Amino acid sequence: MSILEVNHIEKHFGATRVLTDISFSLEQGQALSIIGSSGSGKTTLLRCLNFLERPDHGSIAVKGNVIFDANDPKTQLESEIRKKRLHFGLVFQNFNLFPQYTALQNVTLARELLAKERGGESKESIQQAGEELLARMGLADRVGHFPHQLSGGQQQRVAIARALALHPDILCFDEPTSALDPELTGEVLRVIRSLAEQKTTMIIVTHEMAFARDVADQVIFMDSGVIVEQGAPGDVIDHPKEERTKQFLSRYAND
Amino acid sequence: MLIPVTLSLLEGMGTTLKLFFLTLLFALPLGLVISFGSMSRFAPLRWLIQTVVWIIRGSPLMIQILIIFYGPGLLFGLPLLPRFTAALVAFVVNYACYFSEIYRGGIQSVPRGQYEAGQVLGMTKPQIFFKVTLLQVIKRIVPPMGNEFITLVKDTSLVRVISVYELIWMGESYIKKGLIWPLFYTAVFYLILSGILTILLNQMEKKLDYFQ
Repeated sequence: MSILEVNHIEKHFGATRVLTDISFSLEQGQALSIIGSSGSGKTTLLRCLNFLERPDHGSIAVKGNVIFDANDPKTQLESEIRKKRLHFGLVFQNFNLFPQYTALQNVTLARELLAKERGGESKESIQQAGEELLARMGLADRVGHFPHQLSGGQQQRVAIARALALHPDILCFDEPTSALDPELTGEVLRVIRSLAEQKTTMIIVTHEMAFARDVADQVIFMDSGVIVEQGAPGDVIDHPKEERTKQFLSRYAND
Repeated sequence: MLIPVTLSLLEGMGTTLKLFFLTLLFALPLGLVISFGSMSRFAPLRWLIQTVVWIIRGSPLMIQILIIFYGPGLLFGLPLLPRFTAALVAFVVNYACYFSEIYRGGIQSVPRGQYEAGQVLGMTKPQIFFKVTLLQVIKRIVPPMGNEFITLVKDTSLVRVISVYELIWMGESYIKKGLIWPLFYTAVFYLILSGILTILLNQMEKKLDYFQ
């Protein structure tokens, strides 16, 4: 059984249709890269999965449970959405760290709030888990730093630790290196690569073609809100069948 | 002469300070409520609040004081409010409207991504407001709030239109006796007050300097 099944998702903003009949599935422990030019709907798709946008049609199932169905209002209750969001983690293009909290506090805040509601974990164990996560990101010496004291690459690694702290089933990345200086993209990509090696289930929207090919088990190419081509990276990136995919990839080849 | 003048000015100062602090006590939270109303997704409420804010900010505080003091009696034959209470109501409503616009500016200047980051981390709306955005809002609104506080100190002199004896009233009473220096002395009282406020607000700004 797939961990994620997306069926016939459609999304409009007013009269503009940004996503049309999007369907795909993802297996546990796999990484999916979504590529495509700006405005192709990649980010909107991620935002739909994270309930930041509500699709107008279609359904989303995680581990076989339908968590969203556009035809079933019962799946769209505000109170339920909060819980369902936790199936997904999202790493933003612009990090969106909380500026008034240290790196460690950014990582622990949400988990502490959840623990306060549900009981269970002690503050100490959450802190320790947070420190371990930051150490995994190579930031053991930065736990007490505030976001403005960190480089973009470090901030993005804190953001990854923050998303991981809640143990999402699927971790989503929305162009995680697009806001970084070129010399800082490497450290973030390395972290994502190591997550892939540890079989973290991930969806990565990216413009880094070489990275997408290396790290992904599956690649989706989107254009104008539709999935043009999907399959193994060796097929989609190295031997694209569709004309639009070829055109898109040739722009990267020339860079 | 200095001692009796000082004593009577201190008496006026008491009224001024009482009005100042009570206005802040009620207008700061009320302003926040109004700002939520002015950002409501329910359009009729938003229009209503925006109209009220426009009327209150667009008309002189002095008229509002007069209307709240004399209005209930002349319009509905109700008993008059005590003078100080009427003045306080006028000040609270007036300043709450100004504060609401400052809050609104502060709240809307927090990037959307901060709310979204809180949402995807499973936080509730109140948690996002209190744990994520509030401190960022406070940091942004300290300078404009400081302006309002200092204006409020000086606006308290308006209550004289309904014969509440505040600081300037006391200072002015000596003009009839041919003395001008108590008026300068009165100004010094205001300067000291606004000086203390400036120092406190600067300290607050510095305290919030640890993040950007």
